[in-house]
Amino acid sequence: MAPAPAAPTTSTAPATPSAAAAPSPTVEEIVARHVAWRGGLKKIRAIQTLREQGRVSAGADRQGVVTRERKRPNQSRFEFTVQGVTSVFVSDGQRGWKMSPFDGDTAPGPLADEVVAEAAEQADIEGPLVDWQAKGHKVELDGRESVGGRETYKLKMTLKSGGVRYEYLDVKTLERVRTDSTRQVRGRAVQIETTYGDYRKSGGVRFPHLIDVEAVGRPQRLHVVVDTIEINPPLSDERFRLPSQAKH
Amino acid sequence: MRTIPGLLVLLPTLLFADEVYLQGGAKFTGRIEAQTETMVTVNIGDGVVGVPMSRVERIVKGRSPLDEYEERARRLGPDDADGWRSLGRWASQQGLSAQSRQAYKNVMTVAPDDAESRQALGYVLHEGRWLTEEESYRAKGYVQYDGEWMTPSEAQQARAGAAADQARQDAERRANLAEAERIQAEARAEKAEERAREAEERDTWGQPVYWGGWGYGMTVWPSANSLSVNPVNRP
Repeated sequence: MAPAPAAPTTSTAPATPSAAAAPSPTVEEIVARHVAWRGGLKKIRAIQTLREQGRVSAGADRQGVVTRERKRPNQSRFEFTVQGVTSVFVSDGQRGWKMSPFDGDTAPGPLADEVVAEAAEQADIEGPLVDWQAKGHKVELDGRESVGGRETYKLKMTLKSGGVRYEYLDVKTLERVRTDSTRQVRGRAVQIETTYGDYRKSGGVRFPHLIDVEAVGRPQRLHVVVDTIEINPPLSDERFRLPSQAKH
Repeated sequence: MRTIPGLLVLLPTLLFADEVYLQGGAKFTGRIEAQTETMVTVNIGDGVVGVPMSRVERIVKGRSPLDEYEERARRLGPDDADGWRSLGRWASQQGLSAQSRQAYKNVMTVAPDDAESRQALGYVLHEGRWLTEEESYRAKGYVQYDGEWMTPSEAQQARAGAAADQARQDAERRANLAEAERIQAEARAEKAEERAREAEERDTWGQPVYWGGWGYGMTVWPSANSLSVNPVNRP
């Protein structure tokens, strides 16, 4: 298990002797190479809508089917199906609503603020590293760290919202290997490590098809397998609009 | 057949396959068992759920994964471990946990040590023995606090945090309340501690779900029991 996000170290002090031989690139250079590795700015910006479908497993007897839809600007819809029952969670980036029969919902109701914040982060189709300055985020190089045997650049990212996450990008390929973040779960701050793998291109842009989520200090794991990715599917605004029944 | 509040659980045997869309986008996929002007009841494979027609946007008749499961299951003999294993894997990929569980149990009746089935049913091989998920967590040193498994140090921190919160609230109360109210506050604190102790022991909450940037909203893994606790067919 990897350690929890640590306090930043200086970006001018490489962690390994090999790294000392070459000067550290700037954050701008690292991000630019990462964006190029993903497929390039032009192709990323061409994505207006996105639908990802897959499966999720949280252990024995806990399997589900998931669909995530996103549309510029900042709209997202997440559907989660277990045993034939589909729950829906939607956000326009400012507010959100949900309808979860498992919670007894037969009419839409508001999403909790922390869930809206989580949805808003995911609604950024191109990812927060793209145009991070223009989006009001702050990114610092926080040294290098070995993740799963791969040497990575550790970027500390302070989102405009105030949330802090750490992005680990492979030094050689600039592939995003892991993200560390902190989330409130049942009133307690929990360190979350999300590991990405099986990158494949859709619409000329690389997306991870395996996502493993681990809560530090907890035994449970969440395993997401993305089966299909559709670039620019027709998604009407209606799918993201707050139904009139929602109580806001 | 067994009955639990809000849910009638029975073996699915009917022939219809439908999708019942609620206003707002939620959906039940299964078989309609009955439909009146006011209520539609849907067999979701792990129980029967009643949905008020006033909440239904539309019903789409179709073939459900549950139908396919049953068709395939009918073709399998009880000793066909490979067939049941394959069906269990397929059902799992469809999100049909109950059917997946049943298929893997069928494998285990003829192959008790089948690794895939054991793992699918939550068993963990620990020092040469198959342990349940809960036993494996304990064997690895995790403890349960407030329905969650965590390291002892985290549990201690959480417990201390809860106690500190409670103490802080009590202090504020004591500063502001008269003696009689203070006595009442102590009684409330005692009850809160009792509830915390109960929370530590209970296992009624599902396992928490940590989405980590891919998906959001569902914070606890649901089960058919969730529907019995929060029946959809409430008035």
